[in-house]
Amino acid sequence: MIPRSFAKHFYIMLIPGLLWLIFFNLYPMYGVVAAFKEYNPGLGLWRSPWIGLENFKYMFELDDSKIIFRNTVVIAFSKMIGNLIVPLVFALMLNEVKNRLFTRTVQTIVYLPHFLSWVIVGGMMLDIFAYNGPVNSLLSAMGVEPILFLANANAFPALIVGSDIWKEFGFNAIIFFAALTSINPEMYEAAAIDGASQWQRLIKITIPSIMPVAALLATLSLGNILNAGFDQVFTMYNPSVYSTGDIIDTWVYRAGLIDFQHGLATAVGLLKSVVGLVLITVSYTLAYRFANYRIF
Amino acid sequence: MKKALFTTLAMVIVTASLAACSGNGGSTETAKPSNNAGTSTNAPAVEEVIDPFAKFEQATEVSIGRGIDPNYKYDGNDIAEDNVYTRWLKDKYNIVVKHAWEAAQGDDYQQKVSLAISSNDIPDAMVVNETQLRQMVKAGQLADLKEVYDKYASPELKAVYDSNPGLLDGVTFDGKLYALPETTLPSAPMTWIRKDWLDKLGLEEPKSLQDLGNIAKAFIDNKMGGDNTIGIVGTQQGGSLSSNFLASTDHWYNFSPLFFANDAYPGIWVKDKDGNAVYGSTTEETKNALSMMRDWYASGILDKELGIRKSTAEVVASGQTGIFFGPWWAAYNIGDSMANDPNANWRPYAAPLNDAGQFNSNQATGSSYIVVSKNAKHPEAVIKMTSLHKWTKDEEYKTLTNGKEMTSQEVPLFLILGAGDQLEYAVDALRKVLTGEMKLDDVDDINYSWAYEMAGHVQAIKKEPFDNYDIQYFDQKADPGFFSHIYAHLNGGSTFVDADINWTRSIATAQTKTMESRWTNLKKLEDETFLKIIMGSVELSAFDEFVSKWKSQGGDKITEEVDALK
Repeated sequence: MIPRSFAKHFYIMLIPGLLWLIFFNLYPMYGVVAAFKEYNPGLGLWRSPWIGLENFKYMFELDDSKIIFRNTVVIAFSKMIGNLIVPLVFALMLNEVKNRLFTRTVQTIVYLPHFLSWVIVGGMMLDIFAYNGPVNSLLSAMGVEPILFLANANAFPALIVGSDIWKEFGFNAIIFFAALTSINPEMYEAAAIDGASQWQRLIKITIPSIMPVAALLATLSLGNILNAGFDQVFTMYNPSVYSTGDIIDTWVYRAGLIDFQHGLATAVGLLKSVVGLVLITVSYTLAYRFANYRIF
Repeated sequence: MKKALFTTLAMVIVTASLAACSGNGGSTETAKPSNNAGTSTNAPAVEEVIDPFAKFEQATEVSIGRGIDPNYKYDGNDIAEDNVYTRWLKDKYNIVVKHAWEAAQGDDYQQKVSLAISSNDIPDAMVVNETQLRQMVKAGQLADLKEVYDKYASPELKAVYDSNPGLLDGVTFDGKLYALPETTLPSAPMTWIRKDWLDKLGLEEPKSLQDLGNIAKAFIDNKMGGDNTIGIVGTQQGGSLSSNFLASTDHWYNFSPLFFANDAYPGIWVKDKDGNAVYGSTTEETKNALSMMRDWYASGILDKELGIRKSTAEVVASGQTGIFFGPWWAAYNIGDSMANDPNANWRPYAAPLNDAGQFNSNQATGSSYIVVSKNAKHPEAVIKMTSLHKWTKDEEYKTLTNGKEMTSQEVPLFLILGAGDQLEYAVDALRKVLTGEMKLDDVDDINYSWAYEMAGHVQAIKKEPFDNYDIQYFDQKADPGFFSHIYAHLNGGSTFVDADINWTRSIATAQTKTMESRWTNLKKLEDETFLKIIMGSVELSAFDEFVSKWKSQGGDKITEEVDALK
């Protein structure tokens, strides 16, 4: 039991996070009433006329709604899986390298892209996968016809997911590195004396030891199941990949800020939140049942 | 959630900067203009006589939202908010311009304006487009400018609007004047071609679509722009294939002319042969145009990366391509290309023509508007700024600016204002002053002050022969401050003025009731289908599916509403 006086520090440390939550997540929430109104900015949110479920009715009539929900889930789910497995494998592999200078250098290099904004990385991707870009030059050297990756509806989600993983895996691996260093070295020493091979030590000691961390990260990332990444998709997409690349957030952007359909845009956004809430609740229950992990 | 955060953050920034600006606005008292300019009008005694060019007695603050060109180089330490022009406004007229926020010109600026409207957090004044204007009128966010316009607008400003009939009516709703519209410079997309390449290959200038296709092919086959020569460039990522009724002036770097030469007018409402309204994108002509573009794309004439290219301007500047489409003023934007290759001789052509030999274009409808918030304390200052921008360029001003023509980067709330025939007049005056047919003093500097300014510099810049506008007959060094203006008017403007254009105007120029809710969806359907047809990722028959879907998902109802407008 932590003494009360000491626990105070934790509460103080909680304040910035709480403030962030209140100002950026709770406070804007009152805006959802716009989904039930014909929002007129001049009248303000409260005085705009109510129109009931009109916006929702229209939303469900639209073919678009199904497509953008599907695209969002596909992209977000693939990102979630990829962003869990790739950093994990990377951390395990790098952990086996004994040269500290090398591991430090690699770590620093791979987490750098995390700090670049999507506007920059997106621009780089457009260049790299351009018709005359490096990737197509490589393909044509192997005798393959150039491919327009960014106009190819099948390739686009893979490109989005791939570039997101490339950008984030180094940063995501940091937590795994931390978990790896906290494994008691005595276990490895004991195993070595008992004659366990490198591979056996990895399977029997390292992986079981960082499993709880992996489960924790997986559960936490479930909250992002409907966030496919607005800024990334927005800088990379175009009309010919709408069928697989248009996500809820980009659609809401076009409807809300380009065409001023505030009500409809809010309705779609609200539906996203509702689905997100259900998914988080379910996954939390699952995490508790199977991994015995609880937040509350 | 990330999106919501993004939006909120942007709103917070806007709010914070607005608060910061209104916070130090000390002058609460309405500034009274001095009425010592005793013009002898026989107005009734009760009505005060107002000199539109008088100095405000107190510092009068106007907060604006401002579009900035990130690449623009100011003189010395000047910035957008504090430069030669704004200091002149402040010292001479006591008008203090404060920036509520700044955003890069183009999409960023439009996004910021839309965000300001949606969050009902608008600065005193800003420049908006037609959709935004209508949204603001509907939301009741704007000040009625009728009274201040009558009182404070200079006679010259009023003359300009009087010479452009219908312009002010277009922004008058229920008898209230809600904006100062730009006097749209007419624009039609022309075909810009590297004439130095044409000459090298011994090719004729294009007339038909066939000619244009052959020229593009010749450029590619002869590697005029290196191994990766691109035939015809146009739409870039985020851009549209053609202009439409909501952005009718948007002719730069897209493929409108290829549609027009097929008698197709996508994106606007036209009349079918029975006189009923029909949406141009759903017609047989548009299908033909798409079919042709699909073939051109497959054979490599059109940019392989159309619609996904990061920057069309980049390949034009680097000399990788010799053909693009753009309005006459595109000549202002080819400086990079000329800097990279001094031989780059871009010339516009009123081509391609349709089968009947006509040069078609849709007619521009809306452009930019200065709007004033209903909460603005000094709407009259905005009117005065608009008058000042164009007139009262006295000697003191000329010394201050060193003879440099101020651009939208120095002048806050920049709006193109001039008589309805300003471009024709300017081109004509420049030509005549060159040949000596007209003396500089004969140029009308009251109604066409800009033409007069340019005419004073044309002789130093244009070399003989005066009727040949190839780049080698211009002196780029003699008067750099005016070179781009003279070059754009003589090279681009003259071709446009001389062209015989068959105009088609959209029946609807703003969204109808049903469009407000359905347009996002219909536009998406159209953009996606058209781009895919051209790039060959779906069959041409997808067009017919598009038409029936478009009609059933609200298009029919919208067409009915538009039909009622005609």
